[in-house]
Amino acid sequence: RGPAGRGMAAAAFERRVLRRAAEHHYLRVRLELPDGGARPNAAQFKQLVVTALRELHGEVGAALPVDVLTYEEKTLSAILRVISSGLVKLWSALTLLGFYQNRRCAFRVLQTSPFLLALSGNSRELVLD
Amino acid sequence: HSALSRRYVLCEVVSEDPRCRQCIEDRALQLAVRDAITRVHGDYGLACCSISFTVKYLNAYTGTVLLRCRKDSYRLLCSALPFVRYLESRAQRYPCFLNTLHVGGTIRTCQKFLIRYNRTQLLRLLQNCTNEEERQCIQKSLLSCSLTEEQSHSADEEEDDGTE
Repeated sequence: RGPAGRGMAAAAFERRVLRRAAEHHYLRVRLELPDGGARPNAAQFKQLVVTALRELHGEVGAALPVDVLTYEEKTLSAILRVISSGLVKLWSALTLLGFYQNRRCAFRVLQTSPFLLALSGNSRELVLD
Repeated sequence: HSALSRRYVLCEVVSEDPRCRQCIEDRALQLAVRDAITRVHGDYGLACCSISFTVKYLNAYTGTVLLRCRKDSYRLLCSALPFVRYLESRAQRYPCFLNTLHVGGTIRTCQKFLIRYNRTQLLRLLQNCTNEEERQCIQKSLLSCSLTEEQSHSADEEEDDGTE
C-alpha cells in the first residue's frame, strides 16, 4: 500500500508479493550414459524418468504429473516440467537413478526455475571474451 | 516431554475366508504392510516408515491389529494400508483387507477406543442374530463377563471368571 499521510489521499499504487505462487517448476537435465551405446528416444526417456520416480517414491511418485517439454536425443538433454509440490520428489528420484537397462547412467540437473524463460540463458555457460 | 512421538494405528483384518485368521501373526502382517508401503511410496516411504515400526498387538479371534510408527510417517503408513490385499503364511495366500479403526498417540487411547468399539460391535452382533439359539448364546456369554476382584482376605467363593 502506498503511504497515506495525514489527511492526504492514498497513493495510487499497490504492491502484491506472491510467494511460491508458481504452479510448475522447470528443470533442464542431461542424462549421462558413459558406455556409448544406443540412446533412448523421447518415449524411453520419459519412461526412465517415471521409473526413477517409481523406484524411490512408489506408485504415488510415478503418478506425479511430469512432462518432457523438449528432448534432444543427440545430447540426451531435456527440459522437464513438474508441478511445484513435486519438485523435491522428482529431483531426488533423478539424483538416485543409477541404471538404464542395466547400463550405468546419471542425471545431471543443469538449471531449474519456476519460469521457463529463465532456462533459455545459462550464465554458467557464458563465454566472456 | 519426549521428542520421540509415535502414532499407534488400530486396524482390523477383514476376510471372507475363515482360514485367513491363521495368517494374523507378527511376521505375515509386517511383511504385508511393508510390501504395501514399498509399492505405494517406494524406497523412501519404506525407509521412513520402518523407523520404529512394529506390530504391537494382535488378536486373531477378532482380527484386531495395533501398529506403531513414527509420528512423522504415520500418514505414509495409513495411506498404504488399503493396498494390503492378502496375507501370506506358510506359502498360502488368503485375500483380505485392512480396515483402519483409530489412530492414537498412545497405546492407552487406542485401548480405550477398542473397548468402546468392541462393546458396540457386540451389541450389533446381537441385533444381527438370525436365530434364537445364537441370541441365547451371545446373551449368556455377555452376562457371564465380569471383572475378578482380588480377594486379599480369607477365601470366599470364587466368582465366575471372565475378563472384559
